[in-house]
Formats: sequence, structure tokens, C-alpha cells
Amino acid sequence: MMAAAVAAGGAPEVIAQLENAAKVLMAPPSMVNNEQRQHAEHIFLSFRKSKSPFAVCKHILETSKVDYVLFQAATAIMEAVVREWILLEKSSIESLRTFLLTYVLQRPNLQKYVREQILLAVAVIVKRGSLDKSIDCKSIFHEVSQLISSGNPTVQTLACSILTALLSEFSSSSKTSNIGLSMEFHGNCKRIFQVHRKIREDTDMAQDSLQCLAQLASLHGPVFPDEGSQVDYLAHFIEGLLNTVNGIEIEDSEAMGISSVFSNLITVFPRNVLTAIPNELFSSFVNCLTHLTCSFGRSAALEEVLDKDDMVYMEAYDKLLESWLTLVQDDKHFHKGFFTQHAVQVFNSYIQCHLAAPDGTRNLTANGVASREEEEISELQEDDRDQFSDQLASVGMLGRIAAEHCIPLLTSLLEDRVTRLHGQLQRHQQQLLASPGSGSIDNKVLDDLYEDIHWLILVTGYLLANDTQGETPLIPPEVMEYSIKHSTEVDINTTLQILGSPGEKASSIPGYNRTDSVIRLLSAILRVSEVESRAIRADLTHLLSPQMGKDIVWFLKRWAKTYLLVDEKLYDQISLPFNTAFGADTEGSQWIVGYLLEKVISNLAVWSSEQDLANDTVQLLVTLVERRERANLVIQCENWWNLAKQFARRSPPLHFLSSSVQRTLMKALVLGGFAHMDTDTKQQYWTEVLQPLQQRFLNVINQENFQQICQEEEVKQEITATLEALCGIAEATQIDNVAILFNFLMDFLTNCIGLMEVYKNTPETVNLIIEVFVEVAHKQICYLGESKAMNLYEACLTLLQVYSKNNLGRQRIDVTAEEDQYQDLLLIMELLTNLLSKEFIDFSDTDEVFRGHEPGQAANRSVSAADVVLYGVNLVLPLMSQDLLKFPSLCNQYYKLITFICEIFPEKIPQLPEDLFKSLMYSLELGMSSMSSEVCQLCLEALTPLAEQCAKAQETDSSLFLATRHFLKMVFDMLVLQKHNTEMTTAAGEAFYTLVCLHQAEYSELVETLLSSQQDPVIYQRLADAFNKLTASSTPPSLDRKQKMAFLKSLEEFMANVGGLLCVK
Amino acid sequence: MADDLDFETGDAGASATFPMQCSALRKNGFVVLKGRPCKIVEMSTSKTGKHGHAKVHLVGIDIFTGKKYEDICPSTHNMDVPNIKRNGLPGKGRCPRLTKIWGAPVSFAEPLPRGGVCWAWLRGPPLALQLIGIQDGYLSLLQDSGDVREDLRLPEGDLGKEIEQKYDCGEEILITVLSAMTEEAAVAIKAMAK
Repeated sequence: MMAAAVAAGGAPEVIAQLENAAKVLMAPPSMVNNEQRQHAEHIFLSFRKSKSPFAVCKHILETSKVDYVLFQAATAIMEAVVREWILLEKSSIESLRTFLLTYVLQRPNLQKYVREQILLAVAVIVKRGSLDKSIDCKSIFHEVSQLISSGNPTVQTLACSILTALLSEFSSSSKTSNIGLSMEFHGNCKRIFQVHRKIREDTDMAQDSLQCLAQLASLHGPVFPDEGSQVDYLAHFIEGLLNTVNGIEIEDSEAMGISSVFSNLITVFPRNVLTAIPNELFSSFVNCLTHLTCSFGRSAALEEVLDKDDMVYMEAYDKLLESWLTLVQDDKHFHKGFFTQHAVQVFNSYIQCHLAAPDGTRNLTANGVASREEEEISELQEDDRDQFSDQLASVGMLGRIAAEHCIPLLTSLLEDRVTRLHGQLQRHQQQLLASPGSGSIDNKVLDDLYEDIHWLILVTGYLLANDTQGETPLIPPEVMEYSIKHSTEVDINTTLQILGSPGEKASSIPGYNRTDSVIRLLSAILRVSEVESRAIRADLTHLLSPQMGKDIVWFLKRWAKTYLLVDEKLYDQISLPFNTAFGADTEGSQWIVGYLLEKVISNLAVWSSEQDLANDTVQLLVTLVERRERANLVIQCENWWNLAKQFARRSPPLHFLSSSVQRTLMKALVLGGFAHMDTDTKQQYWTEVLQPLQQRFLNVINQENFQQICQEEEVKQEITATLEALCGIAEATQIDNVAILFNFLMDFLTNCIGLMEVYKNTPETVNLIIEVFVEVAHKQICYLGESKAMNLYEACLTLLQVYSKNNLGRQRIDVTAEEDQYQDLLLIMELLTNLLSKEFIDFSDTDEVFRGHEPGQAANRSVSAADVVLYGVNLVLPLMSQDLLKFPSLCNQYYKLITFICEIFPEKIPQLPEDLFKSLMYSLELGMSSMSSEVCQLCLEALTPLAEQCAKAQETDSSLFLATRHFLKMVFDMLVLQKHNTEMTTAAGEAFYTLVCLHQAEYSELVETLLSSQQDPVIYQRLADAFNKLTASSTPPSLDRKQKMAFLKSLEEFMANVGGLLCVK
Repeated sequence: MADDLDFETGDAGASATFPMQCSALRKNGFVVLKGRPCKIVEMSTSKTGKHGHAKVHLVGIDIFTGKKYEDICPSTHNMDVPNIKRNGLPGKGRCPRLTKIWGAPVSFAEPLPRGGVCWAWLRGPPLALQLIGIQDGYLSLLQDSGDVREDLRLPEGDLGKEIEQKYDCGEEILITVLSAMTEEAAVAIKAMAK
């Protein structure tokens, strides 16, 4: 319709129609109905798809006064140019580009969004042109340079916008090198800085120029012919930058732009280039960075006090701190100590912003007024240590660089707060004793102290140790060196005394100043912990801060992971004080282990009602036992045995703990059981930890009337606690304990299946039972040899059978149902995926780990992973309705599972029962056509092995063969006819090629049909050429890797030429 | 507390409620809110100020009336948890395989079929009593002992209407009875298996 109007030259009608549609879209919601709105949207959509809309768009741009229509015209041009590129004459493209540029230049009052869209169209034209070298980039940059030199601020801003559009178009592609910036152009940076200074008052324009500068700050790659030119450019740029920043008072709106410029410079330019610029210039640069970081940090703190929605300074501060981390991490290029003074400044200002007056400025407004609000904080609010982890990591790193200053500073600030906290709590206690129940106490002083301590602990934690995932955490070299450097001045005994007497004031110990500073910092935190413990003993728990309690155990965990029982083998040099205080076989380490364990036990009793704190506490316990060396010390403590017995009895206070905490506690108790002890002791330990679990469980389920009482709250709790404990046991699996744990858990699994029946109407219990299986499979399957794996497969199969029976005919079409009501399905799919994972990760050596436990059984049973998984899929598929696939977690898990199956057992797919086969194929089709791009990608990945399977089987009448033929058409349409995500091209290309190999005749037919439908002879020829070129390198197609790669390469070119061409209406 | 649990006696002598620390409650579990036995449908925690102590926000549905109740309390508080019972019938059959696995005889309400998969025999306890009459707004329910109890009210609202309607049409239906804290009520119906 629209295309026809355009062809008929009815431009005025088109404009009138578009302007009316724009009116509808811009009208307030009350004025137009949904239908009108959709109709208007449709008009624009089809306008943008019309063929060769250039003339009419030009006409619109010249005559229409409606901004939105202008915007749409620009969009239409941009889309059409890319779509019809190969059909257009180069000269008409060039004249179009000139038209657009002139158009913008002549209309300084265009709306910003219209202007930017037109410039984006220009940038896209240039980018597309650079691909086939039909446009000379140099001339464009030359034009832009001239604009920048024009001296007219408006024109200059415009030039910045063009440049930004160009740079960002190019920066997002991998073809940056084609940009061909001429070196003379670099001189223009200086002018842009000048421009920026002239136009800063206009916020919009200023942002454009800053964006442009940030893009320029990240230039790299083949743009620079050699290193020398890169150094020149950088020096030139930094000079301009410093002149600008030092000469002005920075506006709020500029903060983010400026920090991006700094951050880009530091991230993109190699260190050797940075250090090659004149020394003085580099120093000024670092000074300026320091100054800005401190200043943005203070402004960020003010923003927090004022509770601003838009935290521009916080964002800018984040960016600068991140740049610091990048800058100082690579220290080889700078002489030692180069950054120390800067680090001190940034560190000090961070601390200052986070401490209360008089030491700091926390919660002070700009005019020095304190503000304090008690707001309601929900459980969903992230903890500071996570929310600010990036900031803290940077500040911690800077603290290490300036360890000489920062470690003693943190120590003295903490020791001071400990003394004050102790005094304050004592005063409260006396007040309470003097007049019990005398109303509420003003907690302002306490809260201020807690908040100070909170931040000091966080910073200390990040300074002394790194976040580690999976790898062995090492003591940071700066901290180690610092301790070693001073070890000759240190008195070891006094150091141990400071460490071992957390109840005493550090300064009351004679010679306290001749102690190891790192150990003294640790002991300052132990002193905080000790004040907390004493307050608990004095019944002042209600006055304590659970947040501080959390900080303490979080720190101790982090510290223990890195420092406790330091492994000398991991270091070139080790500090003598560290080795004496917490090395292997030292009294110090035994004492600390005992102290930490006592803390854990006290916390679990006192803070069971504070879920997060209890959680951090058990995590500390896990850290203490997860390494054998530490566990050996832990089990020597009587407390440990008491804890184990108490937990096994399920008596208060431990059974008040939330289920996740109990689960982790069980994990810790199991891990501890693998410490080194003699056989009798070990026997005794397991008798006290694991056997009660089994005994209690059997007692419950073996009662004559279990069926009747199973729903009673006490019984359900008992069952739930057991199931949680089983998950915890599975979580404790390690390669050296899997034999024992697997055998122990297997006994339970059989019983759990029985429970599935009993609790079939209690979804939360059913879910927990399945979760036990999920955990066992997740943690153990990779270690199991053939016969043990078989046992697990069998158990899982029975579980699935029971589950299936209970779900038969169960209606699940509740539109209002929430995702968590489908938890069971999700868990089943997780279980199947875990079982499959053995095909990828397998550490087993035919029951090697079980040798000596049981004679290896003959492994000639019939159940295989494939059988279990396919049975499970058979079960899950009918339950997975299209409605359920709307839940993202279910959808993703489902497609992950079916892709796995196609990849691992392609040979099983043709053997599936017809219904199952059909729904599997339908799922793949659905996944490719109407799901997220990740799902589509998964489905495409599943097609390749399926097609290969067909090729191998050489059965041309199988249903899989027929299905793949259908998929060929789908993938063909996807690649040729539809817009699709370019990230998918590789997966789609691979699937496409394999399918083409399989169905060569059908492919030719598809191409023929497509070509014959083209009426325009020009398009016909171009398409035919493109298709010929596509398969030229791989004729006849075969499943040969080399040919496949050649095909994929031609496909890329094909996509650039034809992609979108056929989307035209 | 849990230490002294005596499973041998089943429900006999069980108290109407027992205390539990607020933090140990779970969603889908039961709790007494404003004196009413409720199923917990929502549970979240919050604190006042960064250094405040946790408070638990509970939303529960009255298991008899369906009315919604809410409460906020410090997470250290003990809350009452009602002892909930559904009526059930003692077993009649025995499953040899389960007996082997669980080490003690396991019983069922229905006689066991010959052969087949053992799991198919094991059903949950029957949760409903057969309705044999409605009189003056009270239900007549056949108990397993053969006795008829007539002290249970016909529920109000849609459920009550549905029971009446089905009964009038001559359908054979089962009524699920829930009891907690000295209160009992019919809460669901289902068709009797033929």
C-alpha cells in the first residue's frame, strides 16, 4: 500500500498520512485507543520497509514540519541504504550522504533526536561504504576537520556529533582499522577541547563533545602507523585534557564524561606508551587523576546523604577507582613507590568519607549539618560489601601499595573504635542496671560506631586478602613484603601476646609498638569480635549490630582462607611473624582455630534469628574444615565434638537455624569428618554425626502409623531436616570422600523414593526429595565408576517413575500460577542435565575411588544414562506446555537439556516413540522461531549433530530425515529472508551447511523458488550471483571440515550483500 | 523439645500448638496469627536502619475461613504453630518390598493387588470421609470405625453450595476434614472412586 503510493509519486499524500499517524502516536493515551495506536505504528513500520524510499524521504525532510516524521524519514533512509546497498549506484549514495550532511548543517535548530538520527544514517553509510571500499573515509574526516576549524561553536558541536556517531559505529565493529584516520586529524583533538570549553554552558552540547572526546581517548589499533605516533597522539591528547580540566570548575553533568575520558586512556593505551610521554606530563596526569578521584568521592558521599536518584558522581567515582586498579596493577612499568603518595591520598579520602565526624565527614551535608535517617531496609537490599565490591577492591589495592601508611592507619582507627564501643556498651549496661526498663536508649552514638567499624572492617578485608573463586588464595605480595621488611624491628613474643589477648587493650601491653603491623591489624578486629562476645555474655545482645557481627565473621573467613596455616611452598619468601603466629604446627594457629570455633558456636546460638549473619558464620566454619590441614586442628577442639553432637540431636538452639544454614552446617560437619584421626576416633565421630541421622530417619518412617502422622508438623519437620541434611552431605563431596558419602547417601535415596509417595500431595517435600537427587548427581556423578553410576541411574529412574505416576493427568493450566509452582519440573530437568554432564566431565577410573570398599560388580546391567534421561524427557515433555516456556528459568533449562541430548545421543533420537519425537522436533522449531536468541542459538546447535546423524545413517525415509528437511527450509528462511541477530550467524551457518549437505536437491529447489519469485531482473541477477558465489567453494557440498569453513566464510559475505535485501515488502 | 518427640503414640495427647522461633518458620508451613491457625503464604524480613535487628513479616491464610492475616515480629520471637490434622484411616494391606526396605511392616488402606510395581500400591493416607447425609446444616460423615459423626457444619459459601448440590444430585462424594486448635471443618470435596 505504502510502497504503491511511493511508486505513484504521491509524496504529499504520504506525508499527510505519516503526519496524521505521528499525531496519533504523540497524543496522550486518553485521546486515542489501542487500535488507532497500532494502526499508526503499522503505518510507520511499513513506510520504513518500502522499496527505494529515498526520493520521498528527501521530500519529507525538506517539507515536513513534524519532528517525529523527520525522524522516521531518517530511519527509513538508513535502513533502506543498508538493505539495497548492492542495487544502488555509488554516485547516488554519495549524493545522498552529502544531502544529509548539508541538511543538518543548514538547520541548526533541528531537534536533537532528529539531528542524531540523521547523523547516524550518515555514519552507517560511511561504515557500509568502507566495507567494500566504495567510500573514502579520508574525505569525510577531512570535511569534519574543516567543520571543527570553522570557529563557529554550533558548527563545531555538530562536527563533534558526527564524529561521535562515526566513532561509535566503528568502535562496535571489528573493522576499526578501516577507519583510516589521518594523522593530521589528531590535531583536531585540541580544538575539540577548546570547543568543549566554549560550549560547556549548554549541557547537551557539552555532553556531545565529551562523548566525542571519550571515543577519541580510546583510539587504538592500526589507526596508528607506529608506536611513536601513538605516543605523540597521547601526549597531545593529555595536554589538551589537562588544560581543560585544570582550568574549569567541573559541572555535575561533566563528571561522568570526564571520568570516561580518563578511564579510556588508562584502559586502552599500553603501559609503555603511557610511560613514554614526557615525565612531567605524566606526573600532571596522575596528579589530576588523584585530585579528581578524591573530589568525585566527596561529591558521591554528598549525593548519598541527599539520597539523590541520579548518582552521577558515584558513577564517575566508580569509573575512576576502577582506572586506578588498572593503572597500578601492572607495576613493572613504573618505579617502585611511584604511586604511593597518590594512593595515600585516595585511600585517606575514601576512609574520611566513610567515617563519622570528627574524623570523617559521613552523613554531613555540604554545609556541615549531620543528617541521619532510620530507613526500613528489606532483605533484598544488597550488602555494602557486595554493592561496593569494585570500589573496595580498588581501595584495598591502593591500601596495599601504601601499606606503610594505610595498615597502621586502619589499626589505630579500629583500636580507637573498639575502646569507645566497649565504653559505650558499659555505660548502657550501667544505665540498664540502675533503672531497668527505663524506656529506650538513644542509639545514635552506638550506630555511628557500628557504621565506622563496618567500613573499617570492609576496607581491611579487601586490603589484606583477595576475593578468590576456586583458586588457592595467596597473601598479597605487598602485604608480605611489608611484614618482612619490618620483621627485624619486631618482637615476636609481644606480637603473639597482642594476638592472643583480644580482651585487653592493645596499648596496655608493654612494648606494643614493636609488633608486626599486619598481625596487629588482625588483632584489632579480634578485639572488635571480643567486645561483641562479651556484650553477648552480659545480655546486651539487643544493643549489638547484627551487621557488625556479619562483618566480623566475613572478615575472619576471608582472613582464614588466606593466612591461616600459610603454605610455605606457595611463596618465595615468608614473613617470620606470619609463620610463627599462624604457620603449621604452631601454638598460634591452634589458638586461633579454637577462638574462631568458639565464635562460630556462640554466633549460631545467639544469632540464629539473623539469617545472613548465621549464614556468614557457617561459611566461616566451612572454611575452617574444607582444607585438611585446618580440619586437623579443628577436630582437636572439644567444642567441635559438642557442636556435632548437638546438631545430631536437633535440639535448640541449632534447630532454630534456617534450613540453608543447617544444610551448610551439615556440610561442614561432614568435611570435618575427613580430617586426620585414628580409626577408633573416626568411627566414633561418624557414629555421632551420621548415624543419628540415619537412626532418627528410620525411626520415623518405620512407625506403624507413619502414613497417618506423616502430615503432622513435627513429623514433617523431622523429614525436612533429614532431607536438608542429605543435601548438605552431598555438598560436602570431594574426590577423597566420595566413596563413603555415596554409599551412605544411596541407602537414603531408596527410602526417599518411598517418601515421594507418602508426600505426593505436599509439593514442598516432593521438591526437597528431588533436590537431594539433584545434589547427589551434581556433586558425585563425575566421580562414579560404571557400576556405581548404574546404581544412581537406577535410583533416578525409579524416582522418575514414581514422579510420573503421581503427575499423570495432573492439570497444570493455572494462568495465575507463579514460577515457583513449577519448581519440581525445573528440578527434574536439572537432575537430567546433571546426569548427562558425566558425558562431558568424568573423573572416574572404573570405580577406582571405591576400591577397597566393595568388590567391583559386573557392569552388565541394562540401564544407561541415555535410558534414564530419555525416560525423563519422555516424562517432562508432555508437561512442558507452551505456557510454561514463558517462564525464563524453565525455558532455558528445558532447551539446555534437549540440546544436550541431541549433542550427546543423536543416535537415540530416531528411536524415540513417535509422540515424543514429534514434540521434540516441535520444541526445536518453536525454539528457533519464537524464543529468545539464546534459546534459538541452542536449537541451532542441536541441528548440526542431528543432521550428521542422518548423514551417517543414510536412511532417506526416516522421520528424522524428513524433519531435517523441514529445518533446512527454516534455517534458509532465517538466514536469507528474516532479520536475525548477527551473533547467531555462526551457529546458523554450521547447521545450514550440514543440512545443505544432507538435502542438496531441496536446497537447489529453495534457491530456484526464491529466484523465480523475483520480478526485478537486477535483483534476480544479483541474488543469483550471490547464491553461486556462496556455494562455489564447496561444490559438491560434503561434511568435510575444510569445505565447511570455506562455506562459512562465503556465508559472511553473502549475508552482507543479501542480508535484508529480501525483507522488502 | 524435638528431642522428646514420641512417635509411637502418634497424635494422641498432642497439644494444640507448639512454639517455634520466628526465624525457623517456613513458607507453606503453619503459624497462629491473631489467634487463628494460618498457612504461611508470604514471609520476608527487614530491619530498621543498617544496624537494626531482623523483623519477620508474615502473611498467612486462615486454614478454615481463607481470611488473610498479617503480622510483623522480631525474628527472635517464638510463634505458636498449630498442630494440623487431616482425618485418615488405618491401613489394611502390607507391602513386602517396602517392608524389606524400611525394616518394618508398612501398611495401607487398600488391599494390595497381585504383581505390578510395588510403588503403585503405596498410596498416601485417604484424606476424606464419605458423605452420607446433610441435616439441619450439619454433615453426616461415615467414619472408618463404621460410626457416623454428625457434628460437622456444612461449610458456608461456594464449597457448602457445591456439597449440597452434589449430594442432592445423588453423587457419591468424600469430604476432607481438617482439624486444628479445637476447631474442625470440611475444607474440600472429591468424587468417590468407583
